[in-house]
Amino acid sequence: MIQKILIANRGEIAVRIIRACREMGIATVAVYSEADAKALHVQLADETVCIGPASASESYLDMEKIISATIVSGADAIHPGFGFLSENCKFAELCEQCNITFIGPPSHVIAKLGNKQEARNTMVSAKVPVIPGSSEAVYDKEEAAALAEKIGYPVIIKAVLGGGGKGMRVAKTPEEFAECFQTAQKEAEASFGDKAMYLERFLIRPRHIEFQILADGFGNVVHLGERDCSVQRNHQKMIEESPSPAVSEELRSRMGEAAAEAARAAGYVNAGTIEFLLDDEKNFYFMEMNTRIQVEHPVTEWVTGIDIVKEQIRIADGKKLSYSQKDIRLMGHAIECRINAENPGKGFRPSPGTITDMYLPGGKGIRVDTAIYSGCEIPPYYDSMIAKLIVWARSRKEAVCKMQSALGEVVIEGVDTNVDYQYGILHHPDFLSGNINIGFIEDMERKQAG
Amino acid sequence: MDLENMFKKRAVLAGTDSSRAGNKPEVPEGLLRKCNKCGRAIIAEEAKEQNYICPKCGGYFRIPAYRRIELLADKGSFEEWDIEMETDNPLGFKGYPEKLEGLKKKTGLREAVVTGRIRIEGMEAVIGVCDGQFLMASMGKAVGEKITRLVERAAKEQLPVILFTCSGGARMQEGMVSLMQMAKTSAALKRHSDAGNLSVNVLTDPTTGGVTASFAMLGDIILAEPKALIGFAGPRVIEQTIRQKLPKGFQRSEFLLEHGFVDGIVERHNLRETLARILKYHSKDNGKKVRTGQEEEQNQGKRELALSFQNMSAWERVQASRKADRPSGSDYIQALFPDFMELHGDRYYGDDKAIIGGIANFHGTPVTVIAQTKGSTTKENIERNFGMPSPEGYRKALRLMKQAEKFHRPVICFVDTPGAFCGLEAEERGQGEAIARNLYEMSSLQSPILSVVVGEGGSGGALALAVADEVWMLENAVYSILSPEGFASILWKDSGRAMEAAALMKMTSEDLFRQEIIERIIPEPEVFTVQSMYTVSETLEVKIAEFLETYMAMDPKELLERRYERFRRM
Repeated sequence: MIQKILIANRGEIAVRIIRACREMGIATVAVYSEADAKALHVQLADETVCIGPASASESYLDMEKIISATIVSGADAIHPGFGFLSENCKFAELCEQCNITFIGPPSHVIAKLGNKQEARNTMVSAKVPVIPGSSEAVYDKEEAAALAEKIGYPVIIKAVLGGGGKGMRVAKTPEEFAECFQTAQKEAEASFGDKAMYLERFLIRPRHIEFQILADGFGNVVHLGERDCSVQRNHQKMIEESPSPAVSEELRSRMGEAAAEAARAAGYVNAGTIEFLLDDEKNFYFMEMNTRIQVEHPVTEWVTGIDIVKEQIRIADGKKLSYSQKDIRLMGHAIECRINAENPGKGFRPSPGTITDMYLPGGKGIRVDTAIYSGCEIPPYYDSMIAKLIVWARSRKEAVCKMQSALGEVVIEGVDTNVDYQYGILHHPDFLSGNINIGFIEDMERKQAG
Repeated sequence: MDLENMFKKRAVLAGTDSSRAGNKPEVPEGLLRKCNKCGRAIIAEEAKEQNYICPKCGGYFRIPAYRRIELLADKGSFEEWDIEMETDNPLGFKGYPEKLEGLKKKTGLREAVVTGRIRIEGMEAVIGVCDGQFLMASMGKAVGEKITRLVERAAKEQLPVILFTCSGGARMQEGMVSLMQMAKTSAALKRHSDAGNLSVNVLTDPTTGGVTASFAMLGDIILAEPKALIGFAGPRVIEQTIRQKLPKGFQRSEFLLEHGFVDGIVERHNLRETLARILKYHSKDNGKKVRTGQEEEQNQGKRELALSFQNMSAWERVQASRKADRPSGSDYIQALFPDFMELHGDRYYGDDKAIIGGIANFHGTPVTVIAQTKGSTTKENIERNFGMPSPEGYRKALRLMKQAEKFHRPVICFVDTPGAFCGLEAEERGQGEAIARNLYEMSSLQSPILSVVVGEGGSGGALALAVADEVWMLENAVYSILSPEGFASILWKDSGRAMEAAALMKMTSEDLFRQEIIERIIPEPEVFTVQSMYTVSETLEVKIAEFLETYMAMDPKELLERRYERFRRM
């Protein structure tokens, strides 16, 4: 039985996890950096351990310190949240070696899915559709160009060990391929110390549709429907909703089955997310699997009624899923807006500082996941997301109206935020009609600029 | 708003769960270790995978000898020698045999050094690696004997010696027998060297005492790992003796580099590649013949005057030679010797940054390159002392020339200095002696020497790199007994008449060519900067190749006779 959990994270997700533990009667240990001594998660937890200076690499990313804090506090499990060490297979392995329950999949599964090529091969063998692309790493320019011809232009060139847009280029024509490949490869070598690249067809303006899955240690896998995360800026999600206006009941069951199959093929245990790209003709392609809780999990929680964090803890504790796929029903419509301390007028520059005053909306169908309070500090060292505003209503239309109203009530003083920017999106005709894809924000900004 | 103690909390249950008894979270033995450099906890396995380097602070840990060899050797190429050799107990020291037995069990080693034959990127060498796990790799009879046998066998088979040192010094338990190992190993290295063989040292943390004072410091090339403690007396002993706190960084690799005792500091992950390069430069297969690329008519002895002269006065040329954006020594090294490996230090006092020296490959032939150099920025100029060398600069140059002679490498010098550094410290350390010594030794150095005056050829400070078989000048370079300002001030007590003096002094390339003090003039483009220097470097490349082809084919006796005559007739 898990009795005490150390939360290896900060901010709203740490608070979210602590709340779930409090409700389940599990004691909590918060870890914090010197910059977070007064943070909400520290105040809320039953015990606290300071793990070092502000810099994440010396605190929230320091595996050895977190393991030591776990042992010292007598916790028997670690919840990694998202970001930081959540998808670090070495950390998960370290937990396994130390007899600490890592609330997430086994380390070898994280390792397998973290390697793009290996993840892709796993999906191909499970007959999950993947974007046409290279089946092995390519190193050589000529060889890659021949492959690109076969895959069909436009192609995207990515680093095998890549992430965060580094070592990534789109070649629209064979003429520009060689140069794109070389720059991408150089970047990859500089960023990841590895020259292994892979190619795939570049889909023009697809939707980002992801499926939440839950898998227990007994081979049971269910999917909890999709989230549409097409509203993105520079690969950063801004708004997520469930269900997607583009996914029919029939498509949902096909994609969901593929997602569940993908999880089974990977030997997955715990909560995870399969990301797909969906094109205009409703073809969907596996993109990657995230082996952690997602920022946008609340929208799924609201349409399914399932508390995903609690399920994560139960699964990690060796419990069976208490329901099967046929028990899962999507009810109504949920939307989440991420609220960041940043200034959209100044290139979305982060805006750390002190929250001098604030008022957050409430009422029926409104949920706010946050760790800010009046007088708290937003330190400059970490991610700028400070709150998630989530609404639920019976229809998308009603949910949009609710979000418009709720955003209009948000007051955060002392730091700049993207609330007004989000408010603008919520009134954009394309968003209202649900006619969006991953190029939506780019198009919107270009029109506004031009 | 302060939220401290505002929320209701759960009563904390600490370890009350009996169901997990025996299955409690704990760190298994050996999984984590503490970095002895930064003090932080690290994953032991991760540090091992990263060549025994702390993943957090980048600090170097000591590395077991076999692992070190694995990191260097071509796969499966290591053949160990004298595996069985162990020490006896020459003093009958009580408890010593038991201690050795314990260490053998614990480390799997027989003694504190592992020796044998190795291949690195296909090149053969012999290697000795000290292992600090074994009595801090102190040198007793067995260590001394293994190293001596290794070096003797290398001499017999004409192989290079690579020694990785790490030692507390002589082994106390073996008394005077230990001390004698210092002499024994040094003597073996001398014979190996006298037979024309290469030895390379890599000093690792810590290299101290009798090992530093013998085989560690005798290599032709001495490298060190970053931040290794290297010294004769240990820092604690020094502190106790002089009753002073030692400065930070004292006796570390960087300190030794600054003081001229190591050629370079090499990161652990670059060691294999660096050693391979050094072995390649010294490989016996290196062609003695330079490919010139184009078979030009032999023009040896023929003197030609470049035709495309710019019409400039002597004073204008003096000014051109001093221009801040004019390419200096280091620019020629970059342009002509892309694989140049810099070697530092005079082995006595310091490393003078006004003179750069090292080895490079020129058209398939290893050459020693020595260049006086100015900086391109004020900061760099201060570091390089505005191109004015100190005695240690000339001594470094001489050391590298002697090395070139030993390995039959030609020497190519680039001269660009306002003059040897004129200062208190330079006199204290014998500036005159250093220059004189170079003239003396260079006159009979058994390797071809070419000197190119590329900027200012300031008096004795320039000549100390220009006792050569041929001396060339760039069109607007100058070479003189003194600066025109100095000349005017001595003769006329008026340094303002420098312009007049410049014309009288006959210091331009054309003047010197006519006086037969130089052999060749290299034309310059009108605007001469690093960006436009390719015409000059292209010419130099062709002409250097011709020079090497001519002079390397020459019998050493003839070479030295001609060099002697070259100056004798002046």
